[in-house]
Amino acid sequence: MYEIINKQSLNPTVTLMEIMAPLVAAKAEPGQFIILRVDENGERIPLTIADYDREKGTITIIFQIVGATTEKLNHLEVGDHLQDFAGPLGKPTETEGLKKVAVVGGGVGCAIAYPVAKKLHELGCEVHSVVGFRNKDLVILEDEFKGVSDKLCMMTDDGSYGEKGLVTNALKSLIDAGNLYDEVIAIGPVIMMKFVCQLTKEYGIKTVVSMNPIMIDGTGMCGGCRLTVGGETKFACVDGPDFDGHLVDFDEAMSRGAMYRDFERHAYEETCNLFKKGE
Amino acid sequence: MPNMSLTKNPMPSQAPDVRNKNFQEVALGYTEEIALDEAARCLNCKNSPCVSGCPVNVHIPDFIKKIVEKDYEGAYQVIAESSTLPAVCGRVCPQETQCESKCVRGIKGDPVGIGRLERFVADRHNELANAEVKIPASNGHRVAIVGSGPSGLTCAGDLARLGYKVTVFEALHTAGGVLVYGIPEFRLPKAIVAREVELLKKMGVDIETNIIIGKTLTIDELFEKGFEAVFIGSGAGLPNFMNIPGESLKGVYSANEYLTRSNLMKAFRDDPDTPIMKGGKVAVVGGGNVAMDAARTALRLGADKVYIVYRRSMEELPARKEEVEHAIEEGIDFQLLRNPVEILGYKNPDDPRDPKNGFVTGMRVQKMELGEPDAKGRRRPVPIEGSEYELEVDAVVMAIGTSPNPLIKNTTEGLEVNPRGGIIVNEDGLSSRENVYAGGDAVTGAATVISAMGAGKTAAAAIDKALKG
Repeated sequence: MYEIINKQSLNPTVTLMEIMAPLVAAKAEPGQFIILRVDENGERIPLTIADYDREKGTITIIFQIVGATTEKLNHLEVGDHLQDFAGPLGKPTETEGLKKVAVVGGGVGCAIAYPVAKKLHELGCEVHSVVGFRNKDLVILEDEFKGVSDKLCMMTDDGSYGEKGLVTNALKSLIDAGNLYDEVIAIGPVIMMKFVCQLTKEYGIKTVVSMNPIMIDGTGMCGGCRLTVGGETKFACVDGPDFDGHLVDFDEAMSRGAMYRDFERHAYEETCNLFKKGE
Repeated sequence: MPNMSLTKNPMPSQAPDVRNKNFQEVALGYTEEIALDEAARCLNCKNSPCVSGCPVNVHIPDFIKKIVEKDYEGAYQVIAESSTLPAVCGRVCPQETQCESKCVRGIKGDPVGIGRLERFVADRHNELANAEVKIPASNGHRVAIVGSGPSGLTCAGDLARLGYKVTVFEALHTAGGVLVYGIPEFRLPKAIVAREVELLKKMGVDIETNIIIGKTLTIDELFEKGFEAVFIGSGAGLPNFMNIPGESLKGVYSANEYLTRSNLMKAFRDDPDTPIMKGGKVAVVGGGNVAMDAARTALRLGADKVYIVYRRSMEELPARKEEVEHAIEEGIDFQLLRNPVEILGYKNPDDPRDPKNGFVTGMRVQKMELGEPDAKGRRRPVPIEGSEYELEVDAVVMAIGTSPNPLIKNTTEGLEVNPRGGIIVNEDGLSSRENVYAGGDAVTGAATVISAMGAGKTAAAAIDKALKG
């Protein structure tokens, strides 16, 4: 069992939890993920590692409440335990040798983009962060990004905070202003990553994306997380989750991500009703 | 006097049209009366050819003799000398190609029902035995086992009995490996596997779940932690696909995913936390035990129609005979000498946001005929030009084999593997790395439970010899 030692609500739908998992914390690197189960009979869900503390032996996860499992997870408090917590899985984001990078985060994807930006900053890389949210209430990790970025562009869809517009607008301006990036790292909703890649392809800038498809085991066994990358089938859990964004078939990834949408919606509603009854 | 009946006592089973709608065990097991009748068919041959057909050399005539004497616990002890998991083997071993294929009674008539008798003995022991377990005196040596499937559990059991302090590392949240995620409840109840695992724990074996060797810890770190030898029984994890168009459509599963969702994640229950596609028409591609398991699972999940699509004929089906018979009885439609060439999906030309887009609607299938035998002597399937047609299906399960998982190889320097990714070992199960042993599907690629157990046993003996030197 894995104890929750810290819990923070970052916004009404996004929660941060710090979990005691020393073996995972000893190895974790930015870009890797864990698989957890909230309770016995619970489903296994992958979550990308948002931060780690090797000395304390903890892993930080940041999740958006989107379905039954994340709803149940959000009902746990400090001192409660998770049934299962396994990792670190997948390959770490490649950060070595980069001199200037634009890190693009969208929504809760910023939780995964942040440790990458932090690592790059620690390695002495010039980091330009572009983060986007639907509105001001949903903004997370602003101070954290400020602390590790040489430049931070805050974007909101409705202009209620930072600049109005999409992350691609800000990224385009940065590139057009003469910033020469070794690489763009984009992490967020699949549709956002798709459009970032369309933009950077025009400019010929290498772009790495972090995919988060449906998974069960996370070790290469089920093949449920398969993606088409450059015409080849890849398993996000062992070959990724980072891939060359100019080669990923995003439309297919979006379609596969919606495979159980009806089931998930139903399960979410049932879980919410259950908690309401309990209150 | 031996019972000279030429036919094996049939296995009492749930009726086909009942069992194809539930997940309870199909075969109900011999009663005492039937077991005694069947045991009396054994001639107790002096040279006992059946023993040579068993990968772990269970002393078959000896245990059957104990049944005749109604000393059922004695029979169990005979089996337990050679096999760690009798209740499992009695259910899932392909006896017709192993022990029973060598039985003298099989020359004229049916061989003795050795597997069914093994199961009878094991189940009876499990029902009646008191929970007392002898805890062996420790010899102070520590051994790490990677993977809690049949090879790992066997190796752990044998070493624990010799006094070793054994820790088993399992990547998933439940111990048992393929016995838990792969083989369905209706063929191998999970309570039986759980019981075997509990027995090992009582003997002092530690089982650490949620630890992925090659990720959470490496083989080298296990040695740093004080383990003196490591046995890798990590199985053949990676599912193979056919590399035909349409395999990324929604509704196409690997058998690993499909069975793991149903078995390990309990998606078969009425109100599961983990989803799986239920109902409709399902095509399972492949002809092995895994294909039969997937097809029969689909039926029990409520499919209206389930096809097995296999490129050779009934004769070449690699699945255990009993499973094929059960599948036919339950109403699985065998599309033999057929090979998929494309999986077809829904695409609404007017609405790219139609939620039905991207779901499987059918499969293009090509007819095959058998040509010349290949190197293994199996006749090669040859496509018949112009014979393609469409099969209407809602889901496709690819059960065409697996390859060894590269996680351990990639993080263990000096561990040699063959071109297919299997760990290279000598006859003792020793790999190219000192004190690192391996066995089961991680070495051979997808094979049987019992051959994996045999490998775990061989390695345990070799580890004992090496460490006590």
